Amino acid sequence: MSPAPVRGPEHLTLALPKGRILTEAAALLTRAGLPLELPGPSRALRHEFPGLTVLELRNQDVPVYVDLGVADFGIVGKDVLVESGRAVFEPVDLRFAACRLSLIREVGADGPIQRVATKYPRSARAYLAAQGIPAEIVKLSGNIELAALTGLADAVVDLVQTGGTLRANGLEERDVLLHSSARLVVNRTALKLRRERLRPLIERLRELVVGD
Amino acid sequence: MTAFPRLPGPAVPEGTRDVLPPEWQQREHLRGRLAAEFAAWGYRGVDVPALEFADPRHPQDARAFKLIDVGGEVLALRGEFTTAVGRLVRSRFAGGPFPLRLQYGGRLWLRALTSELGRLREFAQVGVELIGVSTPQADAELLALGRRALEVVGVAPVMEVGYPGFVDAVLEDAGLSPGAREALHGAIDRKSGADVDLLAAQHRLDAGMTRTLHTLTDLYGGPEVLAQAGDLARGGRARAAVTHLEAVADRAEGTLLFDLGASRRYGYYTGLTFRAYAPGLNQPLLGGGRYDLGGLPGAGFAIGLERLTEVAARGLPPEPEVVLALDAAGAEHARAAGLTAELAWTDDRAELLAYCAARGIRRWAQGQTLTGASA
Repeated sequence: MSPAPVRGPEHLTLALPKGRILTEAAALLTRAGLPLELPGPSRALRHEFPGLTVLELRNQDVPVYVDLGVADFGIVGKDVLVESGRAVFEPVDLRFAACRLSLIREVGADGPIQRVATKYPRSARAYLAAQGIPAEIVKLSGNIELAALTGLADAVVDLVQTGGTLRANGLEERDVLLHSSARLVVNRTALKLRRERLRPLIERLRELVVGD
Repeated sequence: MTAFPRLPGPAVPEGTRDVLPPEWQQREHLRGRLAAEFAAWGYRGVDVPALEFADPRHPQDARAFKLIDVGGEVLALRGEFTTAVGRLVRSRFAGGPFPLRLQYGGRLWLRALTSELGRLREFAQVGVELIGVSTPQADAELLALGRRALEVVGVAPVMEVGYPGFVDAVLEDAGLSPGAREALHGAIDRKSGADVDLLAAQHRLDAGMTRTLHTLTDLYGGPEVLAQAGDLARGGRARAAVTHLEAVADRAEGTLLFDLGASRRYGYYTGLTFRAYAPGLNQPLLGGGRYDLGGLPGAGFAIGLERLTEVAARGLPPEPEVVLALDAAGAEHARAAGLTAELAWTDDRAELLAYCAARGIRRWAQGQTLTGASA
């Protein structure tokens, strides 16, 4: 890896998640005035622009980089942010990548919920505790719906965008834990030390989001 | 976990660490400089036990390491200094004289790994408490001492002031129920406009109130923040907070940042809170604030030594050169000249030379003379 270049005090480091949020986030930030043009498919993990470094991360890692201050700010879904439990500022709801984190069961299932499968154990645990449901939680990594279909779990907690996958598999949403969308997140110290650059960016993003 | 069987040999528990040279010298140098600066401002040193009685009212009780004493009492490893120094003051200095200025230093332990501490569960702090007075002058003194303490170790800090009670006072003045206030504190502290909107809808708050909540999330920056806070302050508590902050700002040297949307984090702070940031470092170096010791006002701050050592090590004076003394007179002579002298343990020149090469020692001292290490 090339050594980190020497950076001015106003240099910003931005954490962006690979995948569905990346393209839209880059477009929005460009409109907000950041000198940011991500190349097409490449193997680079770090992109350098004048006054800005972009780190491409797994979405679960964005809150970690921002909280620990390696990145000054980032963009990540509210679902991932809540699950991370990280204490970062989240000054702008960017309103794209909208989805719901929901409790899902097979259509017609009415037995007690004793085991819940999810990629979101922290959120699921908080929800079940608040509902007074003493269920076991199984942490899975993908295709969570299968857990309900195969009987691995009585219910799953997972993201729903349109609900198409659920209907095609005989599943239904029973409750919504939270409505998610992409958020601008900022390190607690960086917001203060880099406010000359971050505050105008926050204002501009708010205007763009409301204007859309 | 059987996939990674513990290797033979010494291991240390997660979140603890060995401190090696040169970090040890750097840390002790910083500790000494800070203690000397605190002492020059009249802060006298105290030590408090690392073992305490566990107490559910202790602010760190849920995160403290617990031990069982021989009589069955539950003990806790010290997880925070202010509470311990508060106990000491109530039992040892109940009659003053006040203001009482104390400094302390030592290790702390917490079971939880937190990013504030860079994943350490055993860590070292130094700090001060100014007890028995609650004037703006007292708060300004602590801000000035915090700034000065970091400056003497080569850090140019940016000081930021908060007042967690201000948000609560504004919410109370708006007639919000304790339940709604409780929920809103977290959203405001995260500066989350989206969560504010969500909670405002849930609690059926009107548009004006919702605007005020959004203003609170943006109430950070330079001195202009105090004027905006003044416009928001309706009731006595909120106005008193702004008046106090203005009085502190008038007496502060250098510019202060403010964050009046900082709403929680440490339950025991009753008034002004403050932090110090170092340019280029996205974690605070110093934190403190005003609290209540059962009727006795107090305020203080603590500095984490691990992070300070990382930041300040660059600016420390270089360690003196180490020489190998072939006799006692040579050692004495070298030490008198400000060098570090290790004593030769054998007459075997080849062994001494090999050691000097491995250790990076370039000179030998013998009698009154220093010569290049050679056969």
